[in-house]
Amino acid sequence: MSSEERPSPHNPVPAPQVRLGHQAATSDAAGTDRRGALRVGVTAAMAIGSVALGLGLRERGSNKKTRALPTIKDHRADKPAGATDMAIVRGPDPAANVRKAIEALGGMGRFVRRGERVVIKPNIGWNRLPEQAANTNPDVVAEVVRLVLAAGASKVWLTDASVNTPEQCFARSGIEKAAKAAGATVIRPDASAFREVNVSGKLLRTGDVLFPIVDADRVINIPVVKQHGLSLASMALKNWYGVLGGQRVKLHQNIHVSIIDLAAMVKPTLTILDATRILLANGPTGGSLSDVKQLDTVAAGTDEVALDAFGATLLGLNPNDVGFIVEGMKAGLGTPQWKNLKTVELGG
Amino acid sequence: MQAAPEAAGASIIGLASPCNLRVIDAAALDCRPALAVIFVAVRIFVFVVLALIPPAFIGWMVREGHRAPAQAAAPAGKVRPSGAEADKILLALFQGDLGGAKVKDKVTLYDEKGLFDSIDGAAPIFIERHFRRQAATELATADGSDVDCAVYDMAEPANAQSIFDAEKSATAKPVTDFPDAIAGSMSFVFRSGRYYVKLTAFDAKAEAALPGLAKALKGKMK
Repeated sequence: MSSEERPSPHNPVPAPQVRLGHQAATSDAAGTDRRGALRVGVTAAMAIGSVALGLGLRERGSNKKTRALPTIKDHRADKPAGATDMAIVRGPDPAANVRKAIEALGGMGRFVRRGERVVIKPNIGWNRLPEQAANTNPDVVAEVVRLVLAAGASKVWLTDASVNTPEQCFARSGIEKAAKAAGATVIRPDASAFREVNVSGKLLRTGDVLFPIVDADRVINIPVVKQHGLSLASMALKNWYGVLGGQRVKLHQNIHVSIIDLAAMVKPTLTILDATRILLANGPTGGSLSDVKQLDTVAAGTDEVALDAFGATLLGLNPNDVGFIVEGMKAGLGTPQWKNLKTVELGG
Repeated sequence: MQAAPEAAGASIIGLASPCNLRVIDAAALDCRPALAVIFVAVRIFVFVVLALIPPAFIGWMVREGHRAPAQAAAPAGKVRPSGAEADKILLALFQGDLGGAKVKDKVTLYDEKGLFDSIDGAAPIFIERHFRRQAATELATADGSDVDCAVYDMAEPANAQSIFDAEKSATAKPVTDFPDAIAGSMSFVFRSGRYYVKLTAFDAKAEAALPGLAKALKGKMK
């Protein structure tokens, strides 16, 4: 204790800074209490505010929202007992190949019922001609539209989120004209065509998806078979990139996983793999006919992994070397052992 | 003396204690050291949380890719144009005569992130080679045919050569009197300086116009 704190006749109460007398001590302690409380309050508010700000910013950037958003329903149809799993048809007429393949699977009535609304999703990603094989063949697409309408569908949407300018892609590919002529309603990917949904994938939690994919009763995937610079190949599973709006750069940071995230989200009713012409190099854009091979082949089925495994062989790839095929199998989306399925091969 | 613990409690934590000083008695004062410890712990916790926020935030930004793009080193003794200058030079390639062709609508520039929106999964092989910008547009030839045109500024001639070699189609043929060029059906691809150019035709007339268009573009790249 310092000399200032010692009791003395003039200063009977020690420790003046604490207790100068009952009244003085009360008012000083109350002041200290208020200042202290204020300091703690401000500190706590700053901490809570900083954490909230950080979380808010992180939430906005990391696409990990867990808000209540619509989830895309499972579009798969029940498989009748003994039905064929996969059909591979070869022949010079793409439309005839489609008809034969669907017939071999049991007819379009197996997949589409009267009054249902159906969305058809070809690859219309590129400002390219059909001969350049970057997009799905328009004759294949148009024939699918006709078969779906003949099965009694009340509405047939046709859509894709093009990579290049949609107007150019939809026109140059020949798909818009052919699909409209066959009776489809063509939905171009403008800003109003997207709706935010739950993806609930490993990488993608939510996404803006073309609305027909959300609203339709049935979904039909019609990809083209082509080489792809990053994922090795683009076929059925990869074609679901084309339902998503927004910047693509994030999707490519772990391409095989994000492909499976989207494929698991959609679960299509039917897949028709277009290998009328395939792009063997410089994909996915292509351009030079020197990179294109005409195969006059169409394959159809309900197992996207099996169809992609078959498509990979057309590109000279081992399906086990294609990351998204392996990931698709692991995710339970299908089997790469397409030869073990009940498969019909016609023509060629 | 009773004042010391109170003083210590007040001065260390700077807090109002639940033990009101107006009703202090000996029993109440006994609880002060324990409360002081609790309040010190709370205070330390608050400050640790505050201290962790800046590094956590920086870590988040790094994780999300908010990083400055890597730049390829310019060769010694050579000054590379700045980004804005290089963009201006790139856009200037499309001005004036293009072998009878002209820009139909507009020229769009894509950077490293935007390149995925232009060429999707083909982007990484360009980015790996220090791609700087892509200028993409559609041209109309003199007879009204369309040509898809993509000029890639690869920052350095060596990078342009590398992508030219990587994308060369096995069946494409070299072009007489046009070094570092290959012509495929409906396609003409060449390299000049730091630029790599891909021209794609959509009909036979446009295909016939490709060599003239390529020469006009190359002439502007000097």
